[in-house]
Amino acid sequence: MSPASEDAPDSGSSERRHAALDGLMRAAQQGDRHAYHLLLQEVAQRMRRLIAARAPWLGQADIEDIVQDVLLSLHMARATWDPARPFMPWIAAIARNRLTDHARRYKRRQAFDQAASDLAEVFSTTPGQSHAEGVVNLMSVRSAMADLSPGERRAFELVRLRELSLAEAAQQSETTVGAIKVAVHRASRKLKRAINTGGEERK
Amino acid sequence: MKTDALIDSLARDAGPVRPLRSPLRRIWGWLAIALGFAGAMVWAIGPRPDLTERMLEARFLLEQGAALATAITAAMAALALTMPDAARIWRWLPVVPAVAWLGTLGLGCLRDWAQMGPEGLRLTPDPECLVYIALIGSLPLLALVLMLRRGAPLRPSWTLALAALAAAAIGNFALRLFHMQDAALMVLVWQVGAVALIAAIAALCGRAVLRWPGVPA
Repeated sequence: MSPASEDAPDSGSSERRHAALDGLMRAAQQGDRHAYHLLLQEVAQRMRRLIAARAPWLGQADIEDIVQDVLLSLHMARATWDPARPFMPWIAAIARNRLTDHARRYKRRQAFDQAASDLAEVFSTTPGQSHAEGVVNLMSVRSAMADLSPGERRAFELVRLRELSLAEAAQQSETTVGAIKVAVHRASRKLKRAINTGGEERK
Repeated sequence: MKTDALIDSLARDAGPVRPLRSPLRRIWGWLAIALGFAGAMVWAIGPRPDLTERMLEARFLLEQGAALATAITAAMAALALTMPDAARIWRWLPVVPAVAWLGTLGLGCLRDWAQMGPEGLRLTPDPECLVYIALIGSLPLLALVLMLRRGAPLRPSWTLALAALAAAAIGNFALRLFHMQDAALMVLVWQVGAVALIAAIAALCGRAVLRWPGVPA
């Protein structure tokens, strides 16, 4: 680069850079793959800088997503560039359009995230509620247990709480499997009814 | 996919492309297809018996001219909307002929009322207009959509609405050549109404028909 060109004002050098991009795009339209590769790299770099400056809250992956979208859009629309016109306004229009799309998507995602966090807040109280419910249920079960006959209570304890098989429970209680089965069934029904009644009373 | 890998694959697959010409130059090919198809449909259905008489009427010519101009400018505006650096003036082009079209029909309503009184503004159902307009506009719309898909879907809803407006206006232009309906209010409601309805439906489909490519996973 000559000293004269180094002294040139910024606008002049940026004009030259833009003219270089025009040349690359013109060559790319004619099928020069190397020129196209250089152009895409240049556009990617510029887009990365621009997005990082405009939206510093975006993560690297989000920025790369947008850069890739712009590159794909450039690729798809490359026949719409008129070689007689400058490249920059053309790619700027495409980039603006894709950024708007992303902003819309980002806003939607933000709204979605907000909704998700609202939901999480709602559900975060659930363990406390279920604990309280659990205590009440246990109390209901205890009081309901008192209503069971001694045979039913024993059968329920052996089969449902200690998880013995029907045969083992029958042996321990010195009764038949059928009798144990009936006793457990009756006990279950009574307890269920007791818990449901308790739940309704709480409502 | 990494950006560098994407750049490699895009550059590898890129062959030469022919730059698209301006909407003003591309419109003629479309117009030939659209008018050719519309002409064939009029011939197949049979032109109205009083067509020669109507062709000498300034009002009829003005309405038909405005409809055709609306079609041409709407198609050019749609094409321009897919060119990223096209001047904004293109998108406003259809406004003038569309206003002229509505204006001539509005004046027609007043004239009908002055000549025939309330009878001149009688509105009776004429739903087949919609069917004919949609039928005649179908091929022109398809041809225009294929042309639009070569461009950039920057404003898909507007683009497809304008394309449908262009195609439906061609449909209406042809309809007037075989459909014996000249009452301005009837034309305004059933024919221009059908054109507007088709354009509105197209606007809703814009994003589904014209879209950017997605980033491959």
